Amino acid sequence: MSEWMIVLKREFRERVYSKGFLISTLLFPLFMAAVMILPAVLGAGAGGQRTLVVVDEAPAGVGDYVVSALGRPPKADDEGAYTYKVERVPGPFAAARARLNERVLSEEIDGYVHLPPDLLQASAVDYRARNLSSFRVERDIGRAVSQATQAARLRQEGLDLTEVSTLLRPVEVNGAKITERGEEAGSAQASFFLGYILGFLIYLLVFFYGVNVMRSVLEEKTNRIAEVIVSSMKASHLMFGKILGVGAVALLQVGIWTLLGVITRTQSGGIAGMMGLPPDALSSFSVSPWLVAAAIAFFLLGFFLYAALFAAMGAAVNSEQEAQQWQTLVFIPLIVPMLFLGPITNEPLGTTAMVLGLVPFSAPVTMPMRMAAATVPTWQILVSLAGIAVTVLVTAWLAGKIYRVGILSTGTKPSLRELGRWLRAA
Amino acid sequence: MNHALLLDGVSKSYSGHAAVSDLSLAVPQGTIYGILGPNGAGKSTTLRMVMNIILRDTGTISLLGADPERDRSVLRRVGFLPEERGLYRKMKVLDVIVFFAQLKGMQAADARREGERWIERMGLGDWRVSKVETLSKGMQQKVQFITTVLHSPDLLILDEPQSGLDPVNQEVLRDTILDWKRQGRTVVFSTHNMEAAEQLCEHVCIIAEGRKVLDGRLRDIRRANMASAYLVEFEEHSDAADRLLRAGAFGHAEPHGDGWRIDLNPGTDPRALLREANALDVPLIRFEREQPSLHDIFVSRVGGAAATPHRRPEASHV
Repeated sequence: MSEWMIVLKREFRERVYSKGFLISTLLFPLFMAAVMILPAVLGAGAGGQRTLVVVDEAPAGVGDYVVSALGRPPKADDEGAYTYKVERVPGPFAAARARLNERVLSEEIDGYVHLPPDLLQASAVDYRARNLSSFRVERDIGRAVSQATQAARLRQEGLDLTEVSTLLRPVEVNGAKITERGEEAGSAQASFFLGYILGFLIYLLVFFYGVNVMRSVLEEKTNRIAEVIVSSMKASHLMFGKILGVGAVALLQVGIWTLLGVITRTQSGGIAGMMGLPPDALSSFSVSPWLVAAAIAFFLLGFFLYAALFAAMGAAVNSEQEAQQWQTLVFIPLIVPMLFLGPITNEPLGTTAMVLGLVPFSAPVTMPMRMAAATVPTWQILVSLAGIAVTVLVTAWLAGKIYRVGILSTGTKPSLRELGRWLRAA
Repeated sequence: MNHALLLDGVSKSYSGHAAVSDLSLAVPQGTIYGILGPNGAGKSTTLRMVMNIILRDTGTISLLGADPERDRSVLRRVGFLPEERGLYRKMKVLDVIVFFAQLKGMQAADARREGERWIERMGLGDWRVSKVETLSKGMQQKVQFITTVLHSPDLLILDEPQSGLDPVNQEVLRDTILDWKRQGRTVVFSTHNMEAAEQLCEHVCIIAEGRKVLDGRLRDIRRANMASAYLVEFEEHSDAADRLLRAGAFGHAEPHGDGWRIDLNPGTDPRALLREANALDVPLIRFEREQPSLHDIFVSRVGGAAATPHRRPEASHV
């Protein structure tokens, strides 16, 4: 087995057999399912205001989260939404219970939610109300408490909350009615959100796995493992093995999600039936296989492009603090399409969208967004893909040079002039 | 080929500062070779050039008969322990060992089997599937040592192997190094601890400020640097002896322990002193030429200034 394969296998195994991978792989589809299925299950309610009491005995932070999540105002166009007036009382529950029951009966409050001390383990809360007829209220409470609990658990697992929460950031799915005036308004809106989801997902995954590559490089550098490894193999092979290994993990994760998506799509009638929904309840979940394939291709190329940059950056700096200063700089080209979200999705064939789609550093996010919103000319797709591919080769070649010198250098952080010297010397 | 490692005129500077200047040395096969010097003398830079971790500016290096810069494959026959240790903290002990052995060309199954054997030998059996980060520092060092030797390299290059080891583990390390030599393999190690080197090495090279101070077989170095001082001791106190030695006919004498240390005058035959001392009224129980320690030799050669640590230069591959 060649050395870069050994490195690839190590990177792959160390990541795939980790809790973080399992959690992020499972949570995303669950989240998507919740977003898509729940509205169908619950239907539109009457809406209005509800007054709730939260009896908070949960670990610190959970109660705050729940209260602020319920207190958030609903979207303006959400007709069936409830608003909540939340009052928070401390435990113990047993002492407060009788009084709360009285308040419910006297119609002073609509109900109360008890967050028990063992919420994180038991995963259950009690909700008592005058009536339980509204699915929507229960769903809102469930969602708020679930998010709060997940956040607390992730923090317990040592995962960086901001990282995970950006990865799992809720996406709003807006439906649109079909009217006599036509479907355009609705489909434009749908494709806007499809493009938004795709672009955002690609952005997050490239960022997440790019940072992964950087951390891995930095670990080997700061631990001096690099010295031992490059006395067995070429530094560039180490870098490629590492990038391919992390890329394989990303591909596996995306593959699992795609498979779940395909199952949901082909079996949508059956799944809907199992859940007691009308057969067409899930048919809104419809993405063309061609778009999925293209999105995966753009994602992979984008990952390779940024992973090479991140590998070079990880090799050039000496600590994660130093890396963070550069991280944003490296990522700006990828953030640009998110800033131009409106122009790209509203006018996917316009000049802004086309330019951003052809510039290799912003194309991986831009192109799937455009393709979700409109039929992009094939030549543009091919030119964009080829452009990224060529840029990947050039970037990887340059990154390899910086990497080779960087992983073995210690001491002060290199100036740009020194980086130039590394490029010439290697 | 009878040299495991040959350096000829090797130099390396970092932005004007010479870390290693015109260094030449020869490590015979099957020996334990010590590269000695104070911190910052250029020991690590030298070893890292040998391992092709940093590029030399000038000179030639022959590692097991090949230039590591041109023929990297020779590095597979070398085991290298860097000065600053480090392993993948989240990996399991056996997995780490197998990973590094595979990089050196071993098959996974062989590496696993050999790894288990070494883990037992080093007394780490209970930690076989523990994550590296749960091990104590000393145990991590042992694991790293295993990764260095597992592929049975012909040459071991150890940079300050004793640093950070407790006395018991230093003993384990010493035994392993001696065992390695008994199998006809070569060990090169660097240290700033001259006493440790004296116990282990047959050959040494002392460097200071990037330059070689002296090198060769330890026995020969000692012989060549014998002082002209003799240690003399009598069974009991004798005024006659005091008079004889204080007179200074043979050289300057001063009390030394229970006896005397006499720095012979140039051209004086020690046998004359022996004859006179032996003819006194008390029995002579010690008459020996003073053995210089490596540290004494080093200080006498370079002076105290060079024996003190120096600024560590920026390490860079360029």
